This record gives sequence, C-alpha cells and structure tokens, in this order.
Amino acid sequence: MIAFGTAITDSDEYRRHAQPGIRRTVEPDSEVYPFQAVGAVGRSNNLILDHAAESKELEALVLVDEKAEISDPDFCEKVRRAIGDPEVGAVGAVGATGGRSIAWWEGSVSCGAVTQRYPDYEGGEMPAFSWTERAPAPAEVEALDGLLLVLSPWAVRNVRFDEALSLGHGYEVDYCMQLRSAGKQVTTADFGVIHHRPLKVVDDLKLWAEAHIQLAEKWDDRLGGEHPDSDAWKQRARRAEAEREAAQTMAYSAASTLDAQLAPLERELAEATGTLAWRLTQPLRQANQWRRSRAGRRDSGGPR
Amino acid sequence: MIAFSSAVTKPDVYRACAEPGIERAREADSVVHSPPAAGPISTAYNQLLDTAAELDDLEALVLVHQDAEIVDADLCATLRQALGDPDVGLIGCAGAVGVRSIAWWEGSVTLSSFANRYDEHGGGDLPGLSWKWEDPPPYARTGEVDTLDGFVLALSPWVVRNVRFDESLSPFHGYDLDFCLQVRAAGRKVVTADFQAIHHRPLEMVPDLEEWIDAHVLVAEKWDGRAPGIGAGTGTWKERARRAEAEADAARTMAYSRQLELRAREHYLRNAIAETTESVSWRITAPLRRLVRSR
Repeated sequence: MIAFGTAITDSDEYRRHAQPGIRRTVEPDSEVYPFQAVGAVGRSNNLILDHAAESKELEALVLVDEKAEISDPDFCEKVRRAIGDPEVGAVGAVGATGGRSIAWWEGSVSCGAVTQRYPDYEGGEMPAFSWTERAPAPAEVEALDGLLLVLSPWAVRNVRFDEALSLGHGYEVDYCMQLRSAGKQVTTADFGVIHHRPLKVVDDLKLWAEAHIQLAEKWDDRLGGEHPDSDAWKQRARRAEAEREAAQTMAYSAASTLDAQLAPLERELAEATGTLAWRLTQPLRQANQWRRSRAGRRDSGGPR
Repeated sequence: MIAFSSAVTKPDVYRACAEPGIERAREADSVVHSPPAAGPISTAYNQLLDTAAELDDLEALVLVHQDAEIVDADLCATLRQALGDPDVGLIGCAGAVGVRSIAWWEGSVTLSSFANRYDEHGGGDLPGLSWKWEDPPPYARTGEVDTLDGFVLALSPWVVRNVRFDESLSPFHGYDLDFCLQVRAAGRKVVTADFQAIHHRPLEMVPDLEEWIDAHVLVAEKWDGRAPGIGAGTGTWKERARRAEAEADAARTMAYSRQLELRAREHYLRNAIAETTESVSWRITAPLRRLVRSR
C-alpha cells in the first residue's frame, strides 16, 4: 500500500494543489494523511511517519508538500520500481550531489519532469530549477528537494526528521544525510510534479542563512576538532567572507544584465502602447474585454 | 598645473574613452602622460606617480582608467576647490563610508556620480545614485569617505610624492581601497567631489572570481587591526566562516530568483507585445501609424 501525507499550513493551498494531485494518483487501498502542521516541519512530518509506520501493508510513504501537485499517471508504478531496491531509503523528484549545505542545488542537480507554475507576471510555467543544469532522473544523489519525498517502509519506521532544526529549511537535506549515514541510498526518479510557487527561490534569506548555519553545525565536521579561533577557521572565514561579497556583487551584475536584456522589450511594448492609434482605440479594447469577461461568467455559471 | 595620466594597455579603448574626457577637462598647461603599460595596475600607476612627482608646478594628478571618460569640462576648478583644504589627499566621484573590504559598494555609499555605459544587449547606461542631482537619495553628499572608486582618482602633490600603490597586492583588484587607506593612515583626507565620469565597461563586475577573492583576502589581512572595520567581523573565526558561507549561498540564491524573474518577465512582455501588435485595433490603425511616421 502506498500512503500519501501532507503537513498543511494553508488549507487553500492544499485544496488547490496537493489534494487534486493525490486524488488523481491514489490507488483503491491507499491511505491519505492530511494533517494540520504542528510546530516545525520536522515535527509535522514525524506525525505523518508515526501514522504510516503503523500500517503493516506499507510499501512507501509519499510526503507531498501542500504546493506540490503530482501530475504523473504512472506515479505509483514508478514509486514501486524506485523503492523496490531494499538499499533505497528515499526517492524524490529533484535532488543533487555535492551541494554540501542546505543549498543542495549548488551541487549537480538531477530532476524528473518537474515544472514550476508561478503566479508572478500574470502567471506562467517553466521547468523547475531552470537556472542551473539538470541531469535527468534517475540518479543516486545526496540530498532531495522536500517538495515530494517517497520514503521506504524501513525509513518510515527507523529514521525521524530532526525536530531541533526548527527554522523550516534544510530538514530534507538532514533527513537524507541521516539515511545515508545509516547506509541507505537516496535517489531521484522521473516523477511528474507541478510545483506551485512564486519565482523567489527563498522568501526570508536571513532565516534561511540561520538554518544554513544550523545544519552546517550538525553535519560539517571538516574542522570539527579545531579551536573556533584557530588559523584553519580563520582561513576559511577569510575565504568565505570574500566569496560572500563576490556572490553579492555577481548578483548585482546578474540583475543589471537581466535588466539590460529586458530593456529593448520594455521599450518595444511602451512604444506600441504609447501610440496615438493605440490610445484612440482604448475604448474598443475595453469593450471587448468587458464582452469576454461577461461571456466567461456565463459559461462558468457565475452571477450575471 | 593639473596633470592627467592613464596606464594604457588597450590603445583603442583609451582613444575612445579616456582621451576624449581628458581633452574635455584639461587646461592649456595641463601635462597629459599616458604611456603604454603592462602588468599590474599598481606598478603602472607608480611609474605614472614617479613621472608626475618631478613636475614642479603640480597642483594635482588625475589618474584615469583607460575606459573612464570624464564628463565635466570644469573638473580642474572642482579639484582646486577641494584641494583648498590642505589636508585633502585624494578626490574621486564615487565613494563610501563604513567600508570593510575591497567590495566598497557593500559599505554605505555616499556619492556615485558615474554611469556604467555597457555595450551588451544593444547598449545602455546604468546611472549611479548621484549621476543626476534632480532627485538624489537623502544620503547623497560630497565630503570625506573611507574609500573611492579608483576609476578616476585625483591626487594631491603631497600624495604623488609620498604614497605609492602596494605592488604586493592583487594585480588589479582592491588597489584603490588600499591606496585610500594608506593616504588616510598618513593623516590625509579622502573625499568625494561633485564631478561626473562615465565608466565604459561590461555589466559583469567580477569576471575573474578567484583573483578577486585573493585580492579581498590580501587587503583584509593587510589592514585588519590597522584600519577601523577593514577585515573585521564579530564572533570567532568559526562563527564568521559559518555565517559568511551561509550568506554567500543566500546571495547566489537571490541571483537565481532574479534569473527566474527575468524569464517570467520576458515571457510576459513578449505576450503583451504579441497581443498588442496582433489585435484588431492595432491592425485597423496601421494606416494612422504609417501617416504619423511619414510626417
């Protein structure tokens, strides 16, 4: 039996995105655990794991983010194929190797058929993680994106999300690291998923940075035995501070370059819509818009 | 006499950018010395300083990057006014306070009277915060700063004769911050003045990442503990490393967000243009547009 679980912080998001995908995907014997989120992501996920662990028929538990919509008619078949290997502890739609931090996407990304559907700029859709190169799934990876996590029964019964990672970022990286420390593999599979989210990769960068530090403190033992003020840490700090400012400066460069790229299009649109002819025909377009919206309301049975 | 110098590694760039600006700003008696250069900028600039130091009537030496173009014809008057204060050692048109590294723009910028003129994507200008004074931000002002952007630097005669660029640092990056710190350590003021320049350069600000990082570390190591704020930070080295590593990843993530935003915005603009130019009203008014264009 393949179970599905979601920790819900926003019921509307769940109803719009995760729920329709789960409904399309479930098999007759599937169990679905939609739980209200409690505390940090780790605690909510553990609640789902606790319930799933009680099922003797469990083949896999699929943790679905409330903004993730499964869009794959062969999803359950792919889950069985991917989780059939007893060495595999978790499978995801996107993951990476070599990321070394909660910014796992800084590594080599492997990605299934995942798209990002965004509300910005009147809405649109693009391949997920399109800012970086993506190798196709399947692949063995070190970390998975928490948007969709398929856990083996062994993982469900033996590994828990770290509830001390209370900042809401990096919990999935930590879980993957725990599985790998326990000798299990983490892989991607070619799942079809739509991620409904704005374009901004991270909302609160300050909070995210704190979570970055928290996870590094837990797992990064490269200089574990060194005194906090040792030369080794000093060298690392100097380089990191330089890299930080280089990254910030390169972000400014990127922003300027992107603005420059768009400037000709912005001008073209302004020229087209700024003409006398365009302004003169404005009432005509307004009338057409009104006519279309009225027809749309009629078709959808809405109020007249 | 106010002298002008450039270190020229690309004569065509010098002729297109620096030379017209110098010609615009120079006075009849100005000495212009822009020899061919090779190697680190600090070495080339020190040679220019050695030459200028021998000019008896020197009032100031203006060092101009070969890709920088002075806009103001009355630059010399502006510099004389600033040099009226005998403590002033260096003058520029962009600078900041609260600077902690060679990334001086990460400090609190007080003046930035330049435009970055780029050729990419059909070309354009990115104006600095005080490029135009019609609506400057409340913090825009001339006066004393921690450091200046080195693309146009005016040096007092005392500085020309007593301070040298540090040739042990990076070949190109951070030389300007180091020079400003030396001038300030010698008790002279580093100030911004109200003149404009155009920096003809690509949009990419860090084309040679490893070299830039090395320069950042070298300058921090040289001045940490000697100049307030430079190379400084709070916490143990371990804490600083952790935080900087996190913030570097955060900055990269911010850039990814911008990339996504560009793609989405591009998609929106192309759709909007297509909707406009394929609409009935656009087509029926085509004769009117032709008429307007023909007039």
